[in-house]
Amino acid sequence: MAKHETPLLDQLESGPWPSFVTDIKRQAEKKPECWDILGVLELSYKERITHWKHGGIVGVFGYGGGIVGRYVDLPKRFPGVEHFHTIRVAQPASKYYSTANLRQLMDLWEKHGSGMTNFHGSTGDIILLGTRTENLEPFFWDLTHDMGQDLGGSGSNLRTPANCVGQSRCEWSCYDTEEACHHLTMHYQDEIHRPAFPYKFKFKFSGCPNDCVAAIARSDVSVIGTWRDDIRIDQAGVKEYVAGNYPANGGAHSGKDWGPFDIQKEVIGLCPTECMWMEGDELKIDDKECTRCMHCINVMPRALRPGADQGATICVGAKAPILDGAQFSTLIVPFMKISKDNDFEELIDFIETIWDWWMEVGKNRERVGETMQRVGLPTFLSVMGIEPIPQHIREPRSNPYIFWKEEEVEGGFERDIIEFRKRHAA
Amino acid sequence: MALSKEELKDAIEEKATKSPKPQLYIKDFYKCDPDSKPRVIKNVANEMVRDGRLMFWSSGSTTMYAIPGRIQNEEGA
Ligand code: HEM
Ligand code: HEM
Ligand code: SF4
Ligand code: SF4
Repeated sequence: MAKHETPLLDQLESGPWPSFVTDIKRQAEKKPECWDILGVLELSYKERITHWKHGGIVGVFGYGGGIVGRYVDLPKRFPGVEHFHTIRVAQPASKYYSTANLRQLMDLWEKHGSGMTNFHGSTGDIILLGTRTENLEPFFWDLTHDMGQDLGGSGSNLRTPANCVGQSRCEWSCYDTEEACHHLTMHYQDEIHRPAFPYKFKFKFSGCPNDCVAAIARSDVSVIGTWRDDIRIDQAGVKEYVAGNYPANGGAHSGKDWGPFDIQKEVIGLCPTECMWMEGDELKIDDKECTRCMHCINVMPRALRPGADQGATICVGAKAPILDGAQFSTLIVPFMKISKDNDFEELIDFIETIWDWWMEVGKNRERVGETMQRVGLPTFLSVMGIEPIPQHIREPRSNPYIFWKEEEVEGGFERDIIEFRKRHAA
Repeated sequence: MALSKEELKDAIEEKATKSPKPQLYIKDFYKCDPDSKPRVIKNVANEMVRDGRLMFWSSGSTTMYAIPGRIQNEEGA
């Protein structure tokens, strides 16, 4: 595992930004197999083709997820990356680490793997890049026994759930995202570790519509905090903003002088549903028109707060652009109470109704959002036992046909087919 | 009537042995017993992995099942 000539990669180090090439070279001084990562990548740059092979039968005993098998197709030339498996480790809720925990994890990874990491992967978990098959069980033993940590999900499993910092740090959080994420992670251990589904399945928890965990873009079930009543307004706070005594957006834009704060231009004029106005020096909101975009609250956090009747909106079906392009989740339940008091029962029932249907109807490698698209939203809603509401409608209809169900038509439309065929031969 | 667990295991094993493709999706096993719920079949298939009668094959994004003798590790190849 010697150094390779890598002129193309070396050139990437000359830019003004930190370079992964420099990082890998530094790691290679300690872990010589990393020279072969650079070697194989240089070759791929030259030949314009990948030399990595996907997939395999690697894993740890009793688990059907958490390890992603990867091999190089030129093992003689690049023995250091002959096996280069990825390990997924479940991240702590909200990604709160102690430095002691991080050091221990890094020591473990230097011992059993390449030392290369990705904090964090797109799913949200810890990605440890590059180890050999024979190291998997010893690593897993140490991870679970010495550190009390666990692998995350991969393959056709429930993937490692993720959440925003929620009520631990954020005043806007409309439910306890950490509690919900932790509870569902423990509740669904079997689904995380053993493949159950036609394809991957993810849920993510954001405490408010700012959606810091990007649940709406990257989870099959997106649980996004919201409120049912009115935005709480402190008119004295509004006056302070108007007078320029409080910095807008919590001072986030203070790097440049944007001129004096203009509530009309910066808040009222940017409300997407135009539901705000001033009456004298009082700010008014027509809350039934408010779409809970968070803009006004983000700009004036000391004057405006989410309402007090809090819960979450549940959207279903986001996915990345592997087939047919990316899509956001679609609104299914505008408001659900999310509470530990009933062990998140309503949410769990909702999730399992989807699973029971999707496991049966979903095609191999079809995300639930694609299954929904295939059958149409009306069919999906009837599977879920949910009555259509105006909020489910995204655009005016483009299909002129209406197919009634018998129970929807007064008198039904039962026919005696034998009687009919007597008069009309088939 | 749904098959008993042992009958289901035998049916799954037979299917995985005879199918032209060595790797099968979990859904391919649903046909072994149309009367069993998908979750029952998944639990039985996972139990068969623990017993060594089946193996997982995973691309990283999708997981499939196979009879141990019918697939080989990349390491040998
Ligand atoms: C030019 C070199 C590379 C570039 C530009 C690159 C870029 C990226 C980017 C943009 C992502 C998505 C990150 C995220 O959203 O979390 C990613 C993910 C990933 N990369 Fe790379 N990468 C490179 C090389 C490699 C190599 C050499 C490996 C392993 C040998 C690797 C393994 C991975 C893995 C396993 C993930 C997925 C993590 C997850 O599950 O989300 N990458 N890479
Ligand atoms: C031409 C090269 C490659 C292509 C076209 C490719 C394609 C893909 C695709 C389509 C996915 C599924 C994305 C999804 O999760 O929705 C994926 C996932 C992944 N790939 Fe690759 N990949 C390539 C190279 C690599 C390499 C070199 C590595 C590591 C050495 C790698 C590791 C992974 C991992 C860890 C995942 C995530 C699996 C998961 O979702 O659990 N890939 N790749
Ligand atoms: S999503 Fe909302 S509640 Fe969660 S951290 Fe972001 S702003 Fe706070
Ligand atoms: S949250 Fe958004 S939609 Fe609602 S009042 Fe504020 S700016 Fe308007």
